[in-house]
Amino acid sequence: MSVSLADRQEAFLAAILDENAPLPEGWSNSQTAGLGVYRGNYRAALLGALEDTFERTRAHVGEKAFSQASINHIIAHPPAGWTIDEVGQGFDETCAAYFAQNPEVAELAWLEWVMRKLATAPDTEPLSAADFGALAAQFGDEDWAGLRLAMQPRSAVRIVEHDLEGLWRSLGDGNSARPDTRLAEPKAVIAWREGERPTFTLVEADHAAAFTAMAGGTTYGELIALLLGDEAEPDEEAITRSAMRAGEMLGRWLTEGMVVAINP
Amino acid sequence: MTASELSPIDPFGGFGLGLRRTHYDDFLIGEVPVDFVEVISENYMIEGGRQMRILEAVRSRLPVIIHGVSMSIGSARGLDKDYLAKLKRLERRIEPLWVSDHLCWTRSSAHNSHDLLPMPLTQEALAAVCDNIDHAQETLGRAMLFENPSSYLTFPDDEMSEWEFLAEMTRRTGCYLLLDVNNIYVSARNHGFSEDDYLAGLPLDRVRQIHLAGHDPATPDRNIIIDTHDREVADGVWALYEKALGMIDQPVATMIERDDHIPPLPELLSELDRARGIAEKALVPA
Repeated sequence: MSVSLADRQEAFLAAILDENAPLPEGWSNSQTAGLGVYRGNYRAALLGALEDTFERTRAHVGEKAFSQASINHIIAHPPAGWTIDEVGQGFDETCAAYFAQNPEVAELAWLEWVMRKLATAPDTEPLSAADFGALAAQFGDEDWAGLRLAMQPRSAVRIVEHDLEGLWRSLGDGNSARPDTRLAEPKAVIAWREGERPTFTLVEADHAAAFTAMAGGTTYGELIALLLGDEAEPDEEAITRSAMRAGEMLGRWLTEGMVVAINP
Repeated sequence: MTASELSPIDPFGGFGLGLRRTHYDDFLIGEVPVDFVEVISENYMIEGGRQMRILEAVRSRLPVIIHGVSMSIGSARGLDKDYLAKLKRLERRIEPLWVSDHLCWTRSSAHNSHDLLPMPLTQEALAAVCDNIDHAQETLGRAMLFENPSSYLTFPDDEMSEWEFLAEMTRRTGCYLLLDVNNIYVSARNHGFSEDDYLAGLPLDRVRQIHLAGHDPATPDRNIIIDTHDREVADGVWALYEKALGMIDQPVATMIERDDHIPPLPELLSELDRARGIAEKALVPA
């Protein structure tokens, strides 16, 4: 009984991914030699895509280590989607495991990945601080409490323990000497796009939870409560302090052009 | 939409290049002497950013062909709906001259090879390909071009030649052909068929575009030629191009395809001039 086209394709691709997979029945040396070319193409395409996406990570860890981490990644995460760019998804986690003694590598890989994703994000116009001010001039207390923000599509934030600004700049300049990158205390890195150019900044660590919450639909009133933390019965001074901190963050996000709309 | 309901693709006799990142500035700053550019569809099936703006700027001055590598027209499990939707969105946004892809498959139920894998040349595969082409052409509302692949193996139970497969595919679906002359050259040597038989067996009136590219020759250790697109077009491929032009009656669009080790633009334009010279010669009656 002949094998269906679907089964043949499953077996063929399985043989490309796994050199130990059984070869289809009736294959001779010529088919095996040809399969070797397809295996090489597959591997070269994925490794090339990782090199292209993670240029700085590669420069930081060196060619050999990057290549080994990349091979680990494509074996553990063979691509499923139609776009080869997706091969970089989760590479920061691969780096976290492979370069466990150098945690800055995973942070750098995460940043390169989100910068790559930002480059092709939908085009948006940031809401300027002046435009926001004009809208907010009409706000009452309830408007402020219920205010929601739309952040730039694909903007991203996380806590980091290393000076990614210094590392990024150093690797971009092609310097072989690496600065001591460990920060005195953790910070938040926020990545977004200025016009067509992906960019990022390091800010105080409390931005991470706040930015994530607001990007996820939290209201401004809820943000102030979030900043109060676990205090069961906060006093007036604590509430004022949280409201002021929320205002500082909002001002920073608006000034940097990270916010594109209110009450989406 | 049946084959007879598709609008025909009119011949277009220009000379073009693939638009690659390395040459963005050349195309944005000055007049590049080409009649069209071709882009890899998947690189622009995106939502925004500089890459898309550049494509739109180039499109405002030149016809653009969108050429895919991931449609997987030979998949037994049909086409990816998300892929087709994004391709259609790009097609609407760019209004390309033509939309093309390859006779191949790229994915299984779980994984994607990101390579152009060879089709078994069987009636079952032909039926699957034709169903998928019908689906794609109906979704896009236009006829497509499909490229003959280069390949590194054939299947023991093939029931027809590649040219017979392509001929029947065009007849059933109304699609057109993107003739990659380098791929014929490569596959003919890898599988031992005659280039003349290949060209003679194709419905050449369906050819609208020709690709010319470089390949990595066989070595003492590797008896297989590899289609690499990383170097200049080989002399044997130029000779086959001249032969093909002599057999095709309608104008065709010719393109130099370079995807790796991409040289400065003048080097590619020089190769394109060589194609122009051969085409002019082919038009002169013997």
